[in-house]
Amino acid sequence: MPVRTRPKPRIGLDEWTSGYAPLPGIPDEFLGADGNPHPTWRRFLRALGEIPPAELGRRFASADRHIRDAGVSYRAYGEETERAWPLSHLPLLLGEAEWAAIAAGIEQRARLLEAVLADVYGEGRLVRDGHLPAAALAGSADFLRPMAGLKPPGGRWLHLYAADLGRGPDGRWWVLGDRTQAPSGAGYALENRLVLSRAFPDLYARLNVERLAPFFAAFREGLAACAVRATPRIGLLTPGPYSQTYFEQAYLARYLGLLLVEGDDLVARDRRVDVRTVSGLKRVDVLWRRIDGDFADPLELNAASRLGVPGLLEAMRRNVVVVANAPGSGVIESRSLLGFLPVLCRQLLGEDLRLPNIATWWCGEPGARKAAAARLRELAFEPAYRAAGSGPSGNGGLLGPELDRAGRARLAGLLEARGIDWVAQEIVRLSTTPVWEGGALVPRPFTLRVFAAATPDGWRVMPGGFCRIAEEPDARAVAMAEGTRSADVWVLSERPVAPVSLLPSADQVQVRRIPGHLPSRAADNLFWLGRYLERAEALLRVVRALCSRLPERGPASFDASPAAETLRALLVEWKAAAETVETRAEAALGAIRGAERPGSVLSAVLSAQRAAAGLRERLSPDAWHLIRRLRALVEGGAAGRDAGLTDPDIVELVEAALGLLAAFAGLSHENMNRAAGWRFLEMGRRTERGVNTCRLARALAGAGPVAGNLDTLLDLVDCQITYHSRYLVGLTPSPVKDLVVLDPYNPRSVAFQVGALADHLANLPPIREDGLMEMPRRLVMALEADLARQEAEAIGAPVLLDVERRLMDLAEAIGTCYFPHGPHAARAENLFALA
Amino acid sequence: MIYDVAHVTTYRYEEQVASATCTLRLTPMRTADQAVLSSAIEVHPPPASRRTRSGFFGARTDEIRIDTPHRELRIEARSRVEVQTVRQPSLLAEPAWEEVRDAAARSDSLAPSAPVHHLFPSPFVAFSDPMTRYAAKSFPAGAGVVEGALALMRRIKADFVYDPRATQVTTLPFQAFERRRGVCQDFAHIMIAGLRGLGLPAAYVSGYIRTTPIGGTRLQGSDATHAWVSLWCGPDIGWIGLDPTNGIRAGDDHIQLALGRDYADVAPVTGIILGSGAQRLTVAVDVIPLGAAPVDG
Repeated sequence: MPVRTRPKPRIGLDEWTSGYAPLPGIPDEFLGADGNPHPTWRRFLRALGEIPPAELGRRFASADRHIRDAGVSYRAYGEETERAWPLSHLPLLLGEAEWAAIAAGIEQRARLLEAVLADVYGEGRLVRDGHLPAAALAGSADFLRPMAGLKPPGGRWLHLYAADLGRGPDGRWWVLGDRTQAPSGAGYALENRLVLSRAFPDLYARLNVERLAPFFAAFREGLAACAVRATPRIGLLTPGPYSQTYFEQAYLARYLGLLLVEGDDLVARDRRVDVRTVSGLKRVDVLWRRIDGDFADPLELNAASRLGVPGLLEAMRRNVVVVANAPGSGVIESRSLLGFLPVLCRQLLGEDLRLPNIATWWCGEPGARKAAAARLRELAFEPAYRAAGSGPSGNGGLLGPELDRAGRARLAGLLEARGIDWVAQEIVRLSTTPVWEGGALVPRPFTLRVFAAATPDGWRVMPGGFCRIAEEPDARAVAMAEGTRSADVWVLSERPVAPVSLLPSADQVQVRRIPGHLPSRAADNLFWLGRYLERAEALLRVVRALCSRLPERGPASFDASPAAETLRALLVEWKAAAETVETRAEAALGAIRGAERPGSVLSAVLSAQRAAAGLRERLSPDAWHLIRRLRALVEGGAAGRDAGLTDPDIVELVEAALGLLAAFAGLSHENMNRAAGWRFLEMGRRTERGVNTCRLARALAGAGPVAGNLDTLLDLVDCQITYHSRYLVGLTPSPVKDLVVLDPYNPRSVAFQVGALADHLANLPPIREDGLMEMPRRLVMALEADLARQEAEAIGAPVLLDVERRLMDLAEAIGTCYFPHGPHAARAENLFALA
Repeated sequence: MIYDVAHVTTYRYEEQVASATCTLRLTPMRTADQAVLSSAIEVHPPPASRRTRSGFFGARTDEIRIDTPHRELRIEARSRVEVQTVRQPSLLAEPAWEEVRDAAARSDSLAPSAPVHHLFPSPFVAFSDPMTRYAAKSFPAGAGVVEGALALMRRIKADFVYDPRATQVTTLPFQAFERRRGVCQDFAHIMIAGLRGLGLPAAYVSGYIRTTPIGGTRLQGSDATHAWVSLWCGPDIGWIGLDPTNGIRAGDDHIQLALGRDYADVAPVTGIILGSGAQRLTVAVDVIPLGAAPVDG
């Protein structure tokens, strides 16, 4: 970076801020009540002002690009596709002193809530002595009765705690809500930090921004310290790729070095909890739970859950696995409890609550209900709990000021009938922070989620957080559930901060080369990722042959050339082309882009992307990015734009796609560790290539020799040059078949694929304990031997069909041996006929 | 009255099932009104492991694991139960239903017998305005809680058609309410939803009902498990059993298996099997008063 010798002071500052007008009566993070910038923002804007406007624009754009390319995403509830994560270009700034007060408040609150949970599920003193009404707890769907009396292993309920904060009109920070179920957002905070610190490395260093990495290291150490074993295996228990925050879970699993597991991957029995891996069952000591507590164990909790682990609660009772946070912790999120916390804090900790709650009254108490009913016009009314059950009863919140006379009467009736379901809350308008919009700063309300992790030395608070910004300038705290934009949060230290990353000091780490056991699910996904990508490649090659080999014929329809007819028949057989007669361009484009055709390139790529989505913590961002680009390319633009495409255009498209596939192959070849994961990816690829080559050879060289067919076959398997350098004569069947099927030195021959499969299988860790050979290995060795003594002359359709079937059997055997618990689990539930 | 109960559950699978883990709630509860003289559960194929614990609401739960591949799972529960219902003297002044509602909300107990567990929506019992309004007709201001509950129970018996084909085990109460038909599970859920909608704590009870009452008409629900409602009527009266399917108070004809917030808490068999393909379930229940000649089931 060039050294700036002549800093241009505050060039843009006035320009950006001249029109900045905080909302009347609402505190603003940037401008004080006196109209002067707060010192933190002055520091920040002064530094930012030194960056020339054009450069600034470039940096903002690079931040946006990073978010897109890295696939930072979330899924809105009910959506199938992921959305990009919108990140504000400016951080939320907090000064050191202000932060210290927040952190102390969060630390106290975490201690308090842990004590409340321990009492509620344990002794029950708070309820018995009248400090907490029983109904205020029992209404929550997260009050899990089977947890009563259970002492959670690791000695605590909460391991990660988060609170949503807002700054009220009085300038103080208020707690809007507690997150104890399975707080999300820490990973997005980390990713936001990564993006912004890359876009503004100089600012980041100069302003002494507190680092996040030590917090995550402490969190991981805290989890490890709870385990019984000294070097525990820690898993992140995810609901799977369709969860809203799956990206975040995969990201954190990767960052923290945790095993990303779904319920089906785990087995709880015989005083152990194990993960299914390609080397058999391996013990798991700690599970960081990201599924809802009620779903954690279908045997004792919600029997309809497919996300949990049967027997998990019993494993907790036997103290063999730590679950963080313990199931049942979510009860703390009930709004009904907020109003009682000041009293509970004095009761349990002997301290005053440092951070106030947003003023909340549980309407199950007659006094509170009466007071709230008298202020219907001023207060907000919210459900007191996350409710159970389904049906037409879901009640959302109601804002008193927005109700008409009939609405108020209805609300009064609801409170009278079942006040226990409601809380009344003071309406607080949130403070605003500057957001960059259209070249200027504008004020927008925000909430701040702050995280605390339990460590052996007490609670540790992340210096920063996850800031969500509302789109509308005027937001009331209770009305703002989900912001649509997020911002990084910078805590500015007065002193330089030590640059830390998650790398521990050298003497803490023992050198090891085996990266742990590969979970069966990951192996399954890798295997299929390899297969689908290879399938896409084979299809693309056929399409290319179809469009480039026959230029002399008319473009309008299929000609009578045997090779073209064979290729079309192949595409139909693979369900990539329609059986009805199409023009060549139609057939080719349909085979590439036909979303409704199960055998199209697009279908293969989408399947590959799904497999990859289940592997987000294992794939490098580059690999994920390549798959996304491949999908975009194959999908094409808007419908109708393909109408005028000619053969050369299609060939160009095919070659671009093949280029991306080659890049992926190169990436996995050069960058992936030669551990079990790589072997499964490769085995998928080899199996698919072997099968496809058999099919191509059967179609083009299976029967008697047909002019043009052998030539096309050599094209499809990429062997023209090899053939012609080896044989001076023209194409004859036996040499071609030898090269395509039997030649063990040709990386595209069937024999080569089988040899590679044999090699991979020989190098996988043994599962059987009796020392006998696993089934896949037996199959592959027999096939390899048969191919070795096969003669080219004897190869015809029957032999090729036999080899193809044996390869399919091998794939089946690999699945049964290494990932038998895939999608086959069914359940016996809810079938009981009552009368 | 002493009963012998046989409850046989059979799952037949289209494809072989590799393993099964099940939760069984098939042992009658011990309560003030009910003594369990003996009970046994036999499972075929024999489980590799078996664990017994007590559920939150006091029902005995057996967890079994079967590792033997099988196409049929057969669970036979047999028990001998003595039922002797102790009724409060009816002269006891009953509280107004509003008093009961307010007492439940103020309750300072989370014990399994506390009313607060049965005040709120639960997985199978969501509220709906029509159900709450329906129930409210039996509870005019100041009405006695037992009086109101009995009236509601009788109205359900009168207004709804017993029809095993109208609903399934997964039918939600508001759906059965709209159809005005269903089975004991639906009627119990509807009554619970109505009572809770008014703020009254109502629990779901699963069990059996005697097949051939002496001198009475045959009762509905005797060929399978039965379900009824338990209502908390304030600290003095406590819980009373109400059977909306038959329009009677639960008494010596009712044998209690389990109690919970709704069907989900008491389902006799739940679990997970590892296998694919369809499954077929048959249930056979026989409730024989001791000394009576066995009746063909």
